[in-house]
Amino acid sequence: MIEISNMSKWYGDFQVLKDITEEIKPGQTVVVCGPSGSGKSTLLRCINGLEPFQEGQIIVDGVSVGDPSTNLYKLRTEIGMVFQRFELYPHMTAIQNITLAPIKVRSKPKKEAEDKAMELLQRVGIPEKAHEFPANLSGGQQQRVAIARSLAMEPKIMMFDEPTSALDPEMIKEVLDVMIALSKGGMTMIVVTHEMGFAREVSDEIIFMDEGMIVERGSDISFFQNPKNPRTKEFLDKILL
Amino acid sequence: MDWAVIPRNLHFLLGGLVLTFELAAFSLAGGFLLGILMGLGRLSSRKWIYYSATLYVNFFRSLPLILVIFWFYFMVPFIIGRPLGDFFSAIVAFIAFEASYFAEIFRGGIQSIPQGQVMAAYSTGLGYFSTMRHIVLPQALRNMVPTIVTQCVIIFQDTSLAYVIGLKEFLRRTSLVDARELRSLELYLFAGLVYLIFCSIGTIASRRLEKRQVQIRR
Repeated sequence: MIEISNMSKWYGDFQVLKDITEEIKPGQTVVVCGPSGSGKSTLLRCINGLEPFQEGQIIVDGVSVGDPSTNLYKLRTEIGMVFQRFELYPHMTAIQNITLAPIKVRSKPKKEAEDKAMELLQRVGIPEKAHEFPANLSGGQQQRVAIARSLAMEPKIMMFDEPTSALDPEMIKEVLDVMIALSKGGMTMIVVTHEMGFAREVSDEIIFMDEGMIVERGSDISFFQNPKNPRTKEFLDKILL
Repeated sequence: MDWAVIPRNLHFLLGGLVLTFELAAFSLAGGFLLGILMGLGRLSSRKWIYYSATLYVNFFRSLPLILVIFWFYFMVPFIIGRPLGDFFSAIVAFIAFEASYFAEIFRGGIQSIPQGQVMAAYSTGLGYFSTMRHIVLPQALRNMVPTIVTQCVIIFQDTSLAYVIGLKEFLRRTSLVDARELRSLELYLFAGLVYLIFCSIGTIASRRLEKRQVQIRR
């Protein structure tokens, strides 16, 4: 579903991503962790073409992201993205947030888009908040609306960029539960997170990034039990207490 | 003092006020639209668009309005080979001039919207124009309303400069009446009062809107 080969990216002279190679198969959930500034978010943004990269290749569902002839707008409809700070549109209600892209990009009739949105809100557990503005929702509710907004485009892949790090502790679970259900439902997912409980439960692979490189990877058990790289061990010790 | 001069000429003066409002309305509408385009141009990543828009904005912001009015009045007929008419040439001058100010207001307003909003919109497949139209501009405009209202007040005052090309707007008519009646004190006090009233309404509206926005954000 996603094939990244020898991909590198620079901001001016500074190399943010170094020779990244990774393959994600359909239905897999891959967890990306690592210290801040290690290039995790940048990697996600390169995958859906929000940021350009200079070397190597990224192939998403058979489409080369770096190819100048690729229609990135079309590609992005296939890849949902959830942000740390939710990024709901504050001037629209929850349901308007969800239906905007299906109506404008997919040209769905309003009624059909709204029915689908209600179904998604049901799925993330807050159908009663459909007509609320984001400012009247808790962080956890906002993030669930954001997930519903991404799902409304019926993407083949979902990317999450630290979806729970801006949330109060008591709201983390409600968001993770939605993500776990998605993963178990067969969605292909890339999740940047430090929620190791989530990683243990659903991830098919965990990647540890440091200074723009993938320094360690493993299926969950090997990753947690005997990290080979000292940086990984140090990092795990910090976040697992 | 002979205040009777005002009611005696009120009809004539009010006619000028109507023209003043027309000038202001057209300048506002045109300047606003052209200003959006120029403001977007100032944020473009395409070099030639960015430099054209920047050149335009800096050019008109460096000139006195009165000069721009003269230019359009004298130079455009020279270039296109026929007179534009004083009303039309004044409006074109105002639009060209005010757009450069609106452009900077828009640029600031658009830049006040977090980049994450744009990323979120792009990530659902929305294109540049849809993102601008549905996500960025509605939020930016809301932030800009007080500044825009203030600019309206300025435009309203600026229209008085159209008298230099003989346009009979409110202030010009006041001076015409004065030439006939020789009642400068009364007439110009009256004119001042009229400007004061309309501009105060704008200023108060702008302040109210600002207050309301602080409340919305909370």
